[in-house]
Amino acid sequence: MKTLRIDRTAAIAALLVAAFTLPVPGLAAPAQSPAIRTVVIDPGHGGMETGAKGRFGNLEKDITLAVSLKLKALIERDMGFEVVLTRDRDVDVSIENRSATANNHKAGLFISIHANGAVQRKAGGSETFFLSLNATDEETRRLAYLENNSTDLQSRIDPSSDDDLMMILWDMAQNAYIKQSSRLAELVQGELDAMLGTRNRGIKQAPFKILTGVACPAVLVEAAFISNPDEEQKLASADFQTKVAEAIYRGLARYLRANE
Amino acid sequence: MATEKKGKISRQALILSGLALVLLVLVIIFFTGGGEEKVKRFVDATVPKAPATGGEQAATRTVTLFFIADGDDLLHKEMREIAAGPTEADEAERALAALIEGSEKGLVSPLPPQTRVRQVFIAKDGVATVDFSRDVAEGFAYGSSSELAAVYAVVDTLVYNFKSVKKVVLLVEGAERETLGGHVDLSRAFFPDYSLVAR
Repeated sequence: MKTLRIDRTAAIAALLVAAFTLPVPGLAAPAQSPAIRTVVIDPGHGGMETGAKGRFGNLEKDITLAVSLKLKALIERDMGFEVVLTRDRDVDVSIENRSATANNHKAGLFISIHANGAVQRKAGGSETFFLSLNATDEETRRLAYLENNSTDLQSRIDPSSDDDLMMILWDMAQNAYIKQSSRLAELVQGELDAMLGTRNRGIKQAPFKILTGVACPAVLVEAAFISNPDEEQKLASADFQTKVAEAIYRGLARYLRANE
Repeated sequence: MATEKKGKISRQALILSGLALVLLVLVIIFFTGGGEEKVKRFVDATVPKAPATGGEQAATRTVTLFFIADGDDLLHKEMREIAAGPTEADEAERALAALIEGSEKGLVSPLPPQTRVRQVFIAKDGVATVDFSRDVAEGFAYGSSSELAAVYAVVDTLVYNFKSVKKVVLLVEGAERETLGGHVDLSRAFFPDYSLVAR
């Protein structure tokens, strides 16, 4: 819902990020991200939670799993990364456990895979989301803390901690990675546009729960609309699923090359 | 004889205590003004009332509802007359009910048609809390787009029309809920987003 070009929140977020990454005397400049070893792929929905449904009976949860397995195979074949899936079969997994999987494996990148649904039958195309910030004053202060400490966020937050502040920090984890997530979204979306031959809906920001607690660059890919009968049939085909996986893989590869 | 007397006394005691109970209930009702309605008024007491439109007799006000359309991905405005007052929370409930009921001009409501608005609270700090029936979550198999449209149609409708509302929190059946359909985070208050409203 939030287009990047005309979104005031995005502009504010960008300003905040820029402000906090400028070298400030007395504060250590943020260090380079540590080398990425693990990619976590999140097949959206699962189990009782089917996600969006198509007119021909296809379910979002099945398509997201199929694409995720193909993407995992591609990364493992061609890159030296460990790939962890938040689910590898048709089971319910809470959103909290999905981000915990990413954080416990010290994920370097997080890709959540979805198929879109709209009330409008004709809605179609691919889009890639990263988290939007609705930062209040209080959250801005926390953001400042996170921006200055993002590189060792993993070691600072003990996932087993019950401490309230620690829980709040986890809840805000993604805020420290908005800039990288935006870049990753751009590269992935560029490849989806090049490969799928469907409408390019661009990169957008939204307050998606799955992205909030992930402590690494994270995007949510909406490959196509399962609510659109033409695109539903594409999504259900192994050929199109492979193209989606290939496009995301290429986007990841470009992001990683740029960050080497 | 003895048992009869005893029976009479206990019957009298029963009647007396019954009367006392009725009196107590009446006293409670008198002082609290009766249940839910009072609670809502209390919450709204400090919120400035919407300016009366027209004279003393003005019984309606115009609100702008945000619907979706078949041809694009934008939110489209539609004007609607709703009954006015007594509080902005009452009007907000009516505006949302009209949003769920649907368009009069061929636009589409982004909310499941069976959804009911249980209550709207508007707090002094500008946070409106909307409590929907469970149908708002269970009535649709949401995708990202339809879930965003549902949430922002509600948020935009409230903030656009009601001066005392700055942010909106969504509840389902009186309780916090993580998301409506697995996408949009409901744990925080939403600011409006007019970026996709058709011009």
